[in-house]
Amino acid sequence: MSKLRDLQRLLETKEISCVELTEKYLDNIERQNKTINAYVRVTAEEALETAKKVDERIAAGEKLMPLEGIPMSLKDNISTKGIETTCCSKMLQGYYPIYDATVWQTLKKQNAVLLGKTNMDEFAMGSSCETSIYGVTLNPNNTDHVAGGSSGGAAASVAGNMAVFGIGSDTGGSIRQPASFCGLVGLKPTYGTVSRYGLIAYASSLDQIGPITGSVEDAAIIYDCLSAYDPKDSTSVGSKTTTHDKLKDSIKGMKIGIIDEFFDGINKDVKTSLEEAIRVYEDAGVQMVHLKMPGLNAVLPVYFIIACAEASSNLGRYDGIRYGHKTDTYKDIDEMIRKTRNEGFGKEVQRRILLGTYALSSGQYDAYYKKAQNLRYSIIRDFKKIFESCDIILTPSVPVTAYKKGEALIDPIEIYMMDICTIPANIAGLPAVSVPCGFDKNKLPVGMQLIGNNFEDYKVLNAAYQFEKLTKGSYLSPEVEI
Amino acid sequence: MITREEVLHIAKIAKLYVKDEEMDQLIQDMSKIIDYADAIKAVSRDSDVDFDNINNIANAFNEDLVLPSYQRDEILKNREGGENGYFLVRKSLRG
Repeated sequence: MSKLRDLQRLLETKEISCVELTEKYLDNIERQNKTINAYVRVTAEEALETAKKVDERIAAGEKLMPLEGIPMSLKDNISTKGIETTCCSKMLQGYYPIYDATVWQTLKKQNAVLLGKTNMDEFAMGSSCETSIYGVTLNPNNTDHVAGGSSGGAAASVAGNMAVFGIGSDTGGSIRQPASFCGLVGLKPTYGTVSRYGLIAYASSLDQIGPITGSVEDAAIIYDCLSAYDPKDSTSVGSKTTTHDKLKDSIKGMKIGIIDEFFDGINKDVKTSLEEAIRVYEDAGVQMVHLKMPGLNAVLPVYFIIACAEASSNLGRYDGIRYGHKTDTYKDIDEMIRKTRNEGFGKEVQRRILLGTYALSSGQYDAYYKKAQNLRYSIIRDFKKIFESCDIILTPSVPVTAYKKGEALIDPIEIYMMDICTIPANIAGLPAVSVPCGFDKNKLPVGMQLIGNNFEDYKVLNAAYQFEKLTKGSYLSPEVEI
Repeated sequence: MITREEVLHIAKIAKLYVKDEEMDQLIQDMSKIIDYADAIKAVSRDSDVDFDNINNIANAFNEDLVLPSYQRDEILKNREGGENGYFLVRKSLRG
């Protein structure tokens, strides 16, 4: 089940030209984006130019590269040379990067067709796109609900048939949560496998770029293209193995860990869907191993301290001097910087900068930041131990289904807590995928998360692929008519 | 509970202003989140090791080579008012 491969087949057999295919997607955007708000910028001209190039190559009998001719979207925190990149913040409105992010360079080399930049929470801080200056992104499955966040625009672009795949970023669940809310596959790869060069930083030790797709196979194909060592990213290590060729491996005898703490307090419909998914695996000969992880309750505060601390440092660069928003009137340089930052950053971003600065300030550093780093080490060690008794871990992706509009803005702590299932993989740098596994009573998608050991992205993808096959893809978003 | 003075001090280091009308709400929000983060104080350390980086990378040095860099005028494009290849800033030292 690969929409990517199906479309390339249509292109190669000349049943449709790449220009026609691109125009269909641009039409879909034209029709739907006003309501859904997946895109904050549509790059029709660039898209059609690339499509023409692809058609010329097809006419010349050239073989298509793995992502060639595929209409796709990029989250607005991924630098695109000459194309405005704002992180959906007033701070970066009018900012045109002078270089390409490595992932975009790779996609460009493959002649992937960029349709536009997608909506996100401001600087990726949020879980519903409601902190974006461009406003909320709605869920194509039900427009009373949000698409999630922070890569909500990326997910909605795929779920609304406005892109074949979207590239997002995940710091605490920002790829997996919107994928789960929209009924899609979302992969956060092992930390260090996909280059972060050109990804505008939120929390560098947690951020990772990955794909949101309509099927596991597509996610594997994209991962294989994007994962490579990049000397421009000092934390890059590249991938140790490819994943697409391992999707056929049998999962009989595989051990899946179930950690009870992940299932505490989850929504009833989510629980039912996951129990059903577990049965599907058991019927296929997978062994479920029940495990405990008492340290899990420290994960959220540890994450929050580290993420805010890194954000306060990373966002220190926005001073109005070299790029980005700059205030009009000021009497000295200190006032210029402070006014610029006050006007440029939204409330949530300012709150996280203040909290991070607090956790790093003298007098608080040992109690918060240093302690959090110590506990982070223990969490990583606990996971290593867990992977001695199982191959992968199965959890809900999110304890609930898509929020209603406005719901995520009411109580920040309650919403932060909804990231409990996705955050551990960022803390420990582990690969994790969200796969659709059911629907709630309102027909909103439910996601299942599979977490693997470091560099075993192929194992989680294969387990996800087998699930999709065993359930005949019945939880995937409906195929687009082309 | 974080105090008004602490918020003002933190805002100063973070290069932000806090408006008077937003102060009470901010104190409330920050206190709530800090109380929540305080949960880690109750968790005892069971190791002397602090986290350093995920993949145990010791150093990441590039080859000592001269590579092409960005053009000055390209870099200045994102800021109006640059002069002679420099960014323009207000005088920050009194002479």
